[in-house]
Amino acid sequence: MKGTVYLNDKTGIVVIGATGREASQVIKESEALYPGIIKAGITPGKGGSSELPVPVFDTLKEAVKDPKVGKLLNTALIYVPPVSVLDAVMECLDNGIKVLYIITEHVPIRDSEVICQEKVRRGAIIVGGTSLGCFVPSVGRIGAIGGKDPTVAFRDGGIVVISKSGGLTVTTAEMFKRRGWGTYMALAIGGDIISNTTYADVLQEIKGDSRVKGVVMLGEPGGSYEEQVADLIMAGGFDKPVAAFISGRFQERMPEGVAFGHAGAIVERGMGKATDKIARLEAAGKKYPVKVAFYYHDLVKAIESLGVPRDFEDSTTEHVKPLYSTF
Amino acid sequence: MKLYEHEALGSIFKKYKIPVPRYVFSAEMNDAVRQFVDKEPGVVIKSMVLVGKRGKAGAVKVVSDKSQVEKVFSDLATREVYGERSIGALVEEKLDIEKEFYLSVTYSTKDRAPAIIFSEHGGMDVEEIDPKLIHTYIVSDVRSVYPYQIRQFLAGIGFSDKELLRPLSEVIVNVYNAFWGSESRLLEINPLVVARAGDKRKIVAADAVVILDDDASVNPAVVYGARSAQGRPLTQREQDAILIDQGDHRGKAGSYVELDGDIAMMTFGGGGSTVTAETAIEAGLRIANLTDIGGNPPAEKMYRISRIILSKPGLKGVLVCGGTASNTRIDVTLGEGLAKALDDMNAEGKLDKNLVWVVRRSGPEYVKGLKMLHECFVRNGIRGEVYDSQLPITEAPIRLKELLIKHIAYKPEEVV
Repeated sequence: MKGTVYLNDKTGIVVIGATGREASQVIKESEALYPGIIKAGITPGKGGSSELPVPVFDTLKEAVKDPKVGKLLNTALIYVPPVSVLDAVMECLDNGIKVLYIITEHVPIRDSEVICQEKVRRGAIIVGGTSLGCFVPSVGRIGAIGGKDPTVAFRDGGIVVISKSGGLTVTTAEMFKRRGWGTYMALAIGGDIISNTTYADVLQEIKGDSRVKGVVMLGEPGGSYEEQVADLIMAGGFDKPVAAFISGRFQERMPEGVAFGHAGAIVERGMGKATDKIARLEAAGKKYPVKVAFYYHDLVKAIESLGVPRDFEDSTTEHVKPLYSTF
Repeated sequence: MKLYEHEALGSIFKKYKIPVPRYVFSAEMNDAVRQFVDKEPGVVIKSMVLVGKRGKAGAVKVVSDKSQVEKVFSDLATREVYGERSIGALVEEKLDIEKEFYLSVTYSTKDRAPAIIFSEHGGMDVEEIDPKLIHTYIVSDVRSVYPYQIRQFLAGIGFSDKELLRPLSEVIVNVYNAFWGSESRLLEINPLVVARAGDKRKIVAADAVVILDDDASVNPAVVYGARSAQGRPLTQREQDAILIDQGDHRGKAGSYVELDGDIAMMTFGGGGSTVTAETAIEAGLRIANLTDIGGNPPAEKMYRISRIILSKPGLKGVLVCGGTASNTRIDVTLGEGLAKALDDMNAEGKLDKNLVWVVRRSGPEYVKGLKMLHECFVRNGIRGEVYDSQLPITEAPIRLKELLIKHIAYKPEEVV
């Protein structure tokens, strides 16, 4: 198999909510870049429509029974409105789809919880909500990640980028590409409170993959998913180099907002704040190849100092000049 | 979104049969409050604010001498608590308290499931309770939560008051159901008291903290009214910004949090905005706002948020900064929306030419978009530098700082 469980050369995508504004644009773009990776689309009431470059069905059940595309469908890309996401996920799980991406933002937490528990019962992989998708340069992409011209940011290499922020997933891949490291996989896991795929989940999936040379992880305050990475590494569960940047230290210096998180602070004492996450990862770094970057752009230095080999030449110049200046 | 205590009592605790003290809420002293007080031997009066730790601020008072009620009420109904103005006061029956528990329900990201958190040692700030005395029950199957499971949990942690096992387990399940049914992020009762009532004992929620999911299937801002997450009223600019996204789901440009600084932030994407703001602060810039524009908003939205961001008095610099967009059109947002805002502000005499600008952006149509913005800078006499993604995103605030020092002798904060 070429690629990862999240995206590989057997991946066949069905888009749920296919004829919406964003989804139809993504389908058209993907079809132009990676023809054939998207096999079908689902929009109730639009079955048989020819507005997209892929066949559209009213229900997923009809799509999986379709003699032409049915057997090829194994990955769902969900673009429905927030309150319809739970329904879409259940439709996918009940029709045998085992890898799902929830692109939709603002999924109600309660629905996310139901989804997460159902995912465990069914043994499925779900990425998101609020995922931007996945990019594996040697295979293709799922979702809008990288836009119309993904070659700006992505080139095949050995780095895995895992980020809650979709935008920073691409921005980070591009920063590394300019400095000589290509991407093996970039996965935008989304920043929801209940995250169906966590950093630690991804690390466990890729720990035995010899093509992974190093991991770049972008974290945010809240929850304990970053801390779980430190725990996994300290328990010997992942031994490849990890460079991390945790945003949000500044929020701790802002005027105090509504006192939120008392209860969360009890469940996971000492967890949730950016500085706590940084401390935990730095503690792991004393014994394992883990480095936390102070500034976001120091991630490059971190990967370099961890000894991750460049995939190609550094293309940057000493001093970046502005495109335009009016001084 | 956090609810005021009286909102939580009235709309959630009642519905899910969580026992609460008799109470009345009012913004000012009136007959309803007087009649309530007349019937009670003693009352507890609480300032209605969103901020926590009211007791320590003297915003919760027990009043047994009824001649003092009017005075205490007027004070607590109008005072500021940690800088937040009270919207009124809650008057409750004074309970005959035997003991105080701590109870809350929230999501545990460690377990990715709801967690019921309980301690027999409530009443004090939760951070002050010995962690060994705090116990957690994880709801690993949200389809079935019954009191017997809670009794097994309580028995397992050595709960000392066997007589309360059944009533407490039923209250806890009601509290869990309230958390789940109201789509909360946090429901906290501290203290959950055991009160004497004649020769009987009853369990009563003597406090109510509810934070609803902003993404709940019913938008809490529609039900309870929009409120600032900072425990202060929204500023005019913040209110104006909210209107931008109302009724128009194309992209998002209406997030704006006003701060005290002098550097306007026009930042894009959740993660990109956070790292940019963070680096600006680390570099010693005093940022004037936070914003997070994304999802390919139309030029009109970008025009409106640009004018709001630039309308704050006392600005010295502007940072327009985002990563490599996958979706957001750079020609539309910067080349049309922002540029038109600058053209119009200049025509109206509202554009400050002393501002120092740094722009750093990439994404769809960025070559065209950055060129359009540069042309706008030239025709309006704006001083700035424009970069694409060759400059790492977080070096843009550092570059702005250098230019501010060089051109207007800006004095950055000393950052420890």
